[in-house]
Amino acid sequence: MSIRRLSPETINRIAAGEVVERPASVVKELVENAIDAGATRIEVATAGGGLALIRVTDDGAGMGADDLALAVERHCTSKLDGGLEAIGTLGFRGEALASIGSVARLALASRQRGSADGFEIAVDGGAVGDPRPVAMAPGTRVEVTDLFFATPARLKFMKSERAETAAITETVRRLAMAHPEIRFSLSGADRTATDLPATGPNGWLDRLDRILGNGFRADAMAIDSGRGPIRLTGFAGLPTHHRGNAAQQYLFVNGRPVRDKLLAGAVRAAYGDFIPHDRHPVLALFLDVPPAEVDVNVHPAKAEVRFRDPGLVRALMIGALREALAAAGHRASDRGATAMIEALRRSAFAPPQAPAARGAERGWEGFAEPAQAVLTDLPRSADRRAAAYVPAAAPAAAPVAAQPLGVPRAQLHETYIVAETEDGLVVVDQHAAHERLVYERLKAALAADGGVPRQILLIPEIVELPEEDVDRLASRAAELQPLGLVLEAFGPGAVAVREVPGLLGHGDTAGLVRDLADEIAELDTATLLADRLDAIAGTMACHGSVRAGRRLRPEEMDALLREMEATPHSGQCIHGRPTYIELKLSDIERLFGRR
Amino acid sequence: MRATLERSNLLKALNHVHRVVERRNTIPILSNVLLRAEDGRLRLKATDLDLEVTETVPAEVRAAGGTTVPAYTLYDIVRKLPDGAEVALDTDAEGRTLTVQSGRSHFSLQILPEADFPDLTAGEFAVRFTLAAAQFRALMERTQFAISTEETRYYLNGIYLHIVASGDDKLLRAVATDGHRLAQAQIAAPAGSEAMPGVIVPRKTVGELQKLLESPDAEVTVEVSDTKIRVTEGDIVLTSKLIDGTFPDYVRVIPRGNDKVLKVDRGAFSEAVDRVSTIASERGRAVKLALGEGRMVLTVNNPDSGSATEELGVDFAAEPIEIGFNSKYLLDIGAQLRSGTAVFKLADPGSPTLIQDDDNPDALYVLMPMRV
Repeated sequence: MSIRRLSPETINRIAAGEVVERPASVVKELVENAIDAGATRIEVATAGGGLALIRVTDDGAGMGADDLALAVERHCTSKLDGGLEAIGTLGFRGEALASIGSVARLALASRQRGSADGFEIAVDGGAVGDPRPVAMAPGTRVEVTDLFFATPARLKFMKSERAETAAITETVRRLAMAHPEIRFSLSGADRTATDLPATGPNGWLDRLDRILGNGFRADAMAIDSGRGPIRLTGFAGLPTHHRGNAAQQYLFVNGRPVRDKLLAGAVRAAYGDFIPHDRHPVLALFLDVPPAEVDVNVHPAKAEVRFRDPGLVRALMIGALREALAAAGHRASDRGATAMIEALRRSAFAPPQAPAARGAERGWEGFAEPAQAVLTDLPRSADRRAAAYVPAAAPAAAPVAAQPLGVPRAQLHETYIVAETEDGLVVVDQHAAHERLVYERLKAALAADGGVPRQILLIPEIVELPEEDVDRLASRAAELQPLGLVLEAFGPGAVAVREVPGLLGHGDTAGLVRDLADEIAELDTATLLADRLDAIAGTMACHGSVRAGRRLRPEEMDALLREMEATPHSGQCIHGRPTYIELKLSDIERLFGRR
Repeated sequence: MRATLERSNLLKALNHVHRVVERRNTIPILSNVLLRAEDGRLRLKATDLDLEVTETVPAEVRAAGGTTVPAYTLYDIVRKLPDGAEVALDTDAEGRTLTVQSGRSHFSLQILPEADFPDLTAGEFAVRFTLAAAQFRALMERTQFAISTEETRYYLNGIYLHIVASGDDKLLRAVATDGHRLAQAQIAAPAGSEAMPGVIVPRKTVGELQKLLESPDAEVTVEVSDTKIRVTEGDIVLTSKLIDGTFPDYVRVIPRGNDKVLKVDRGAFSEAVDRVSTIASERGRAVKLALGEGRMVLTVNNPDSGSATEELGVDFAAEPIEIGFNSKYLLDIGAQLRSGTAVFKLADPGSPTLIQDDDNPDALYVLMPMRV
C-alpha cells in the first residue's frame, strides 16, 4: 500500500470530527463568532435537533465579500493578532466554519456595518461557491442545514432529536450567562422559544436568575474577590439551595464556559460541611485571568483550559466562596420562611368546611360534654406549659433588642424555640442549632495551634499504590501533615505511612490513603482527610448536643440564640438543613389579609 | 447412645467447650456440640472451624455412640439443673432426638448426625513440648493487649510465638504489636521446643487458652505444626489453626541505644496518668511528659475543657526531654508491668521508647510517642 497525501476535503472532515462533535458544538462555534463580532443581539433557530437546521443571526461587525470567501477556508481568522500567548477572543483557531462547511451545507451571509451591500456564500460538503450580493440588515447570518450529511458515520451516532435540542439549549444558556449585555433568543419548531433580553451592566444576577431559575436570585451570594492579576466574580447559591447533581455549577474563564475539575474540587472544599454529603450547590463563577496566565489551546472545543498557577486559582475560589458563606451565615433561612408562608396560606384557604361540621356536632353537645371536656383539655395542656415560660422570659427582654435572632418567648413541643425579633418572629430547631454550635467549637479546637496530635507508628504501614498515585500523594505530603497524616514515597510503587492522626485510632490506614490518592486524582484536592476528621467531630457534636425533647429554661434559650448569633455558619446544621426560619411581621400581616 | 453422668462434670466441660461456638452460624451444625460416649467416658467437642476444643469427662456408658445437639441450649439446661443431680443422655431409636433427663426434668432436643460434624484435628504435629500452665499463661497475658484488631494487617491479629537464641540458651518468646506499640515476653525454651517454627496464634485462641488454663500447677503439652497448634491440659484439648502470614521483623523496632533512663514508681505513675487524662477528650488522649532532673511533669491539654498537670518525683538524671504518649497506651502497659518500679528508656520525642520492669528483663514493651 503506497502512502498518499489526503485530499483537502478529507483533511477538513477529519478536523471537523474534533471541532464539530454534535449540533450543539456547531451552535457553540457560531454563537462565539457572533459574540466575538461584537453583536448585541443573537438569534438562534434550530429544527430537528439542529441536524436539519441551525440558523444564527447577529448584528455584529459583519464581513465584506473578500473576507467571506476567506472565512470558510481552513486556518483563516480575523481574531489571532497577538499570537497564541495572548488570546482575547473566544475563537482563534480559524477552523470552525471550514469544519462545519465540510460536513454540512453552509450558507454564510454578511453585511458590514456602514456598507451598502451584503454578500452571501454557500459551501456544500466542502465545495465553496462564489460570493453573491444579497439584501440584508447589517450583521451576519449563518445557516447550517443537513448537518453531517457528508459524514454518515457521525450521523449514526447522534442521540435523539430531543437530547440534541437540549444540548443546544444548554450551550446557549452557558454562553448567555457569560454575556448578559447581549440579547439572546432561541427558537425553532423543535423547542419552546426562549428570550433573554439584554440587561444592564449590573444585570448579571437577572440573567442568572432567568437561566438558573428556582429562586436563585433570593439565594445568591455575590462573589467578588481578586488575587494579583486574577479576579473572581459571580454568584453562588446558599448551601440550603442545593441540587442532586453538579450540573448547575458553571465556571467561565475570560467569558468562556469551561468544564474544569478545579471548580468541582474548590466547590467541595468550600461548601464542605454546609451541605448534605450527596448534594451540590448551584453557582456561576467568572474568572478573569490575563490571557498570558491561561492556556486555552488545550482542547479542540476549548472546553478545558490550563492555568499557569492552578494552586492560586483554586485558593482564590475556595477563599472567595468561604468568605461569602461566612458572611451569609444568617441568610440560609429565607427559603424555609417562604415554604412556611406557602404552607400557611394553603391551610388558610382550606377550612371553610370545618365550621359547618362543628355546628352539626353541637347538637350532641349535651351528651358529649362531660366526657369530652376532659379529653379536649388534654392536648391543650402542652400549650399551657409552653405559655408558662413567657412571663419568665419577658422581664429580661422587655425591650425587643436589636439582636438578629430576637428574644426567646417560648419553647414548643420541647423542640422548637420561638423568638420575637424587632420585625417578626424566629423559630429555631434547638437540636440542629446546638449541633452546629458544638461542631464549630470542636472544629476550632481541632484546628487550634499545633494541628492534630499524631500517633507515630512503630511499624510504618506500607501501602502499595500505582506510581502516579505515589507521586500525587508525595507532592501533597506537606498539606497532609497538619492534619496528622505523615507519609512519604517508599520506592516507586508504595508509600510509607509514618504517623497517623491520633483521632482515627486503629482505622483502616491503607484504605484512607488509597481514597486520598483517588480524590487527588479526581478533584485535585485532599480534603478527604479533613472530612474524615470533621465527620468524627460531627458525630461527637451530634452526641454532645441538646436533643429535641429537652425542656430548656428561658436563660438557656437566650444563651443558645446569642451563641448562634456569634457563631459563623449557624444558619444550617451540619447536615445542611436550616437551623431556624424567620417570619417577618409583614409576612404575618399578609397571611391575615392585613396587607 | 446412652450415658449417665454427674451434673457438675457435664457443666464444667460444657462451660469450657460452648464458648467456642459462635452465636450466629450459617452452617447449622456449627451451633452444636458433639457428644461421644464410650469406654466409661463422655467426650464433648465444639468448633468454629478455626478453633476446636474437646474435653472428656467420666460417665457411666450403657450404650456407646455419638450425636450432636445445640451447644447453648444444652449448656443452659445443664446450668439450670439442681446441684448434685444425675443427668441421663439418651438418643432415641430413630436417631432424631436426644433426651436429657434429670430427676423429674425431661428435655427432648433435636440432633444432627455425628458424621456431619467437622473435624479439625487431622494432621501431624512435628514439635511437642511441655511446660507449666502458669508460664504459658503468663506469655500470653503479658502480650495479649497489644494484639491488633485491624483486619487489613491480619498477620498482626495474633501473638507471634517463636524460639530465639540468646547466647547458648534458647528462649521461647511471645510478641504482639498493633503498629503503635509492641509487647514481648519470654521464658527459657522448654525441652523439645527448640525446633519449633515461628507461628502466629490468633486472638480468639489466645483468649480461650487463658480461660481454659485455670489451674496454675498443671502441666501443659503444646504441639505445633506448620498450620496448627494443639494445647493439652489434662482432659482438655484445644486445637487451633494458625494465622498464615509473616510476622514483621519486630526486632528492628525495639530500640537498643536509648540512653535516657527514667525510673518511676509504677503505681504512682499509672494513677497520675489516669488522673490527668480525666480532662482529655475522647479524641485527644495525649499526655505530655516533661522530664527534668529528678522530676516528671505530666500535662494534658484539652482546648474544650481545660488542662491538668501533675508532678511526680522520679529517678532521672539525663538531659531534660518532653515527650507525648497516648494515655490509654501508658495505662495498658502500666497494668502489664509487675514490679514496683517501671523503667523507661527514652531517646527523643519522635523515637520508640522502651518500658520494662526493673527486676525482670524478660518482658519488655515498646511504645511510639505521639506528636502533640
